[in-house]
Amino acid sequence: MSGQSGGCQCGGVRYHFTGAMGRASVCHCRMCQKAFGNFGAPLVSVPLSAFSWTRGRPGMFRSSAPVARGFCRDCGTPLFMQEDGDPNIELAIGTLDDPNSVSLEGQVGVESKVSWFDGMPNLPPETTNENNPTAAKGRYLTLQHPDHDTDRWP
Amino acid sequence: MSGHIATGGCQCGAVRYRITGPLFDAHICHCRMCQKASGNMFAALVGLKKSDITWLHGEPAVFRSSSIVSRGFCGKCGTPLTFAYDHTVHMNVSIGSLDRPVDVQPEVQFGIEGRLPAFGTLHTLPGSRTEDDVPPGDMAKLRSLQHPGGE
Repeated sequence: MSGQSGGCQCGGVRYHFTGAMGRASVCHCRMCQKAFGNFGAPLVSVPLSAFSWTRGRPGMFRSSAPVARGFCRDCGTPLFMQEDGDPNIELAIGTLDDPNSVSLEGQVGVESKVSWFDGMPNLPPETTNENNPTAAKGRYLTLQHPDHDTDRWP
Repeated sequence: MSGHIATGGCQCGAVRYRITGPLFDAHICHCRMCQKASGNMFAALVGLKKSDITWLHGEPAVFRSSSIVSRGFCGKCGTPLTFAYDHTVHMNVSIGSLDRPVDVQPEVQFGIEGRLPAFGTLHTLPGSRTEDDVPPGDMAKLRSLQHPGGE
């Protein structure tokens, strides 16, 4: 897949890139765990020369001396990681409009990988509706930006 | 997983919390709402009573991702922190925001309709340590600005 858009949950920050994506991997390091509130961070590399913000701009936090992490100031979605001087931006895969388009190639930062990570695909599965009677009855209104570019939002 | 005090917070340390009751229903959720909110393949969450959390420093900013749910995050660094339905006495914190995420092992996977096919094969991908991927001499430059955890 060549070229794609993405953004945060509320739609306040949107981006687009052209051309092919670079290397994609899951990082288990404790910095990525904390930044994403998760067991790891799946990231894909895209050349900055082919990348642009199309709506809003991210907030930024310097998580270490040479690394900036971007997020939406209105909804918090972690959006990217970027090292000073790197010609690429590392996008959070979950923010892509089609995260399924990414081919993950490796795992990094495995010194902090939780012991049960590899077993998670075998956990008992439930669909959202089984888990959530409210959702099953269709009684809620999503306020998430759709997975495509929009002319106006909200 | 129950019977002890858990602490946690965001990456920059502007928001810190303490949980004094039991943690329960640890899970990952693959639904597209959780994917997008957390910029990830899934969210990792654990339940607690709303009355058992104390904000030690700062408080989360809140985004209402649907008409029935609030998601809390750090307004300074973005770390996803909480998930709560309006109508229950329970809430969730993100497991990765806990100071000791290794204490909280998920028991179930929700939102299976949104699970990415690649999730099932993640464990087969080759792995490397951080120091293996950083050029020699550069590790010292990676001075962390992350809150160290603990109160």
